[in-house]
Amino acid sequence: MKLLVCVKQIHDPDVPVRVNTDSNWVEFDGDAYVMNRFDGFALEEALQLREAFPGLRIDVVTVGPERADAVLRRSLGMGADHGIHILTESGGYQSPFATAAWIAAYATGCNYDLILTGVMSGDDMNGQVGPLAAEILHLPCATAVIFRRMMPESGRIYVERELEGGLRDALEMELPALLTVQSGINRPRYPSLSKMLRANKHAVDVIPSGSLGSPSIHLSVSQTLLPQKMRAGRVLEGNPREKACRLLDILQTRSMLASENSAC
Amino acid sequence: MLNQSIVVIAEHVEGQVRPVTYELLAFAAALQKEMPSAKIKIVVIGDAMDAMADNIARKTGQGVFYIHVPGLSGYNAEVYKIILAGVLEELQASHVCTAHSSRGLDFAPGLAVRLGCACITGIEAIVKRNQKISFRRAICGGKIMADIQTDSRMALLCVLPGSFAPDSGESAAAGTVMKRALECAPQKSLSTGVIHKSLDAAAVAEADVIVAAGRGIGDKDHLDLIFRLAALFPRSAVGGSRIVCDSGWLDYDRQIGVTGSTVAPSLYIACGISGAVQHVSGMRGSGFVVAINSDPNAAIFNVSDVCIVEDLATFIPILIETHEKRRAEKEA
Ligand SMILES: Cc1cc2nc3c(=O)[nH]c(=O)nc-3n(C[C@H](O)[C@H](O)[C@H](O)COP(=O)(O)OP(=O)(O)OC[C@H]3O[C@@H](n4cnc5c(N)ncnc54)[C@H](O)[C@@H]3O)c2cc1C
Ligand SMILES: Nc1ncnc2c1ncn2[C@@H]1O[C@H](COP(=O)(O)O)[C@@H](O)[C@H]1O
Repeated sequence: MKLLVCVKQIHDPDVPVRVNTDSNWVEFDGDAYVMNRFDGFALEEALQLREAFPGLRIDVVTVGPERADAVLRRSLGMGADHGIHILTESGGYQSPFATAAWIAAYATGCNYDLILTGVMSGDDMNGQVGPLAAEILHLPCATAVIFRRMMPESGRIYVERELEGGLRDALEMELPALLTVQSGINRPRYPSLSKMLRANKHAVDVIPSGSLGSPSIHLSVSQTLLPQKMRAGRVLEGNPREKACRLLDILQTRSMLASENSAC
Repeated sequence: MLNQSIVVIAEHVEGQVRPVTYELLAFAAALQKEMPSAKIKIVVIGDAMDAMADNIARKTGQGVFYIHVPGLSGYNAEVYKIILAGVLEELQASHVCTAHSSRGLDFAPGLAVRLGCACITGIEAIVKRNQKISFRRAICGGKIMADIQTDSRMALLCVLPGSFAPDSGESAAAGTVMKRALECAPQKSLSTGVIHKSLDAAAVAEADVIVAAGRGIGDKDHLDLIFRLAALFPRSAVGGSRIVCDSGWLDYDRQIGVTGSTVAPSLYIACGISGAVQHVSGMRGSGFVVAINSDPNAAIFNVSDVCIVEDLATFIPILIETHEKRRAEKEA
């Protein structure tokens, strides 16, 4: 069996971000990058499958500029077998249609039995790349998978998809298939030091995205801006103690505290 | 273009129409203002949905196209994609409105590939600039909004629940229901039903005050601070973001958000929570919202009445201490 896991490198969500000067995309205040948190769950699911079915091979693929190599190294450090880097020019908006088309173009003919992605990327928040790639590859697809059980006798997989408000859709799918993996399905492991050291020496296949065709990307950004405030948003000023006093005063006038307080 | 239509796809679970369907109609109506020649049509797919189709037509006054698929009691992605690919072409849809929900996100992108058209998810607003329509959606955890446009002949639009207020009244005249039977069986998947995961969410559901912990608490050990803060309030409970529950720091029955509980306490204190839409949709009905976050640009501050930019690990102890000192002074 062969698995492909799609992993994305994103800016560390704790790095400050703002609208760029042309107001058509964003810029970040630093160069700290992480693996998209949701992709850790997809990779961990693949690693657990390999533990259950030894001999299974796990490839990881990323679409991104040169720096995205680090997310493949981290994946190898977690235990993936091989990395594929679909190299793009850096910066700017990237349509999910392009990312999905390139991943699908690469995967065509590779005979993966199962392709896993995260449920969404923390920066672009599309939730699209997985289901788009599945359809291009004519694979059945289930999103937001929170439980899965392989059915090796029948070449099928049983999955439960998470719906809103405590409900799940249950279904059985034929393999090959693509799943987008919901957070909480497992606890992703940390990369091991020895595997990380080995990972750094591991060869990664680099494929220029241009060699995979130029898909219709359908979408473009007309503007970026800051979100609107939906409530008063009163920012408390002062040192922490002064802020604490102000907050207690506010809560007190609204009779929200357990017992009456005197003002300070 | 003549005969263009804006199609709304009704969302239903276990034979019940989901309220978001009416929000989609409000979205479609807003879109229609920008393209007055387009007609709104509602599509219902399933088996034994006659009553639902009638209800929607009566309530909205819009025409309903009920596609009766024998044997499709619930939802199946394959069937939805096959059926809709044909129906949307036939209806000459320019815009297709579906929910940014687990179901909508499951079939819309794949359907777009099938139709060779665009799909935009997480839509919160429609904007018009220089005669062109864009769709506003959150990126970067809600810290930035991006207006996305497309030149595609058809666009599948996944609209975020809670963004468009549904029309509350009933329409004067019922819309007509057109019913058509289509046979369609999935080839590569078999839906086996809907499972109910019962959560005991009474603690957060009944609380008057919720103190919620996010990843910003940093460590399970800091949860103690959150419980101590909650103890300052009568009828309070501790809740959390999904990350905190995924990490095993809190039970899932305390998770607030679209895949957890929807709550509306009189006071909600968000501690180290970024304010992702999936979380906010579960708490935006709260009476008064206080947020404590070290990032002055955190999205949670956009949905807060009071914003405190501080490291919670130092601020919460000071808050508790100040409260206790005041109480002691009062008693003295
Ligand atoms: C289909 C789907 C369903 C989902 N359902 C839910 C749901 O029901 N509920 C839910 O909550 N999420 C849900 N999510 C996840 C959601 O998208 C976010 O990932 C999640 O809400 C983020 O949790 P957080 O705010 O705790 O963490 P983060 O987004 O990581 O934010 C942590 C925050 O803590 C702040 N911080 C860090 N250190 C400190 C400090 N020392 N003091 C003060 N502040 C600090 C940071 O500035 C940051 O703003 C869902 C996602 C998907 C895709
Ligand atoms: N640039 C990328 N490289 C590899 N995988 C990606 C990339 N972008 C998105 N994905 C995968 O698709 C999922 C959904 O991403 P998105 O559609 O951007 O929300 C992510 O969790 C990843 O698994």
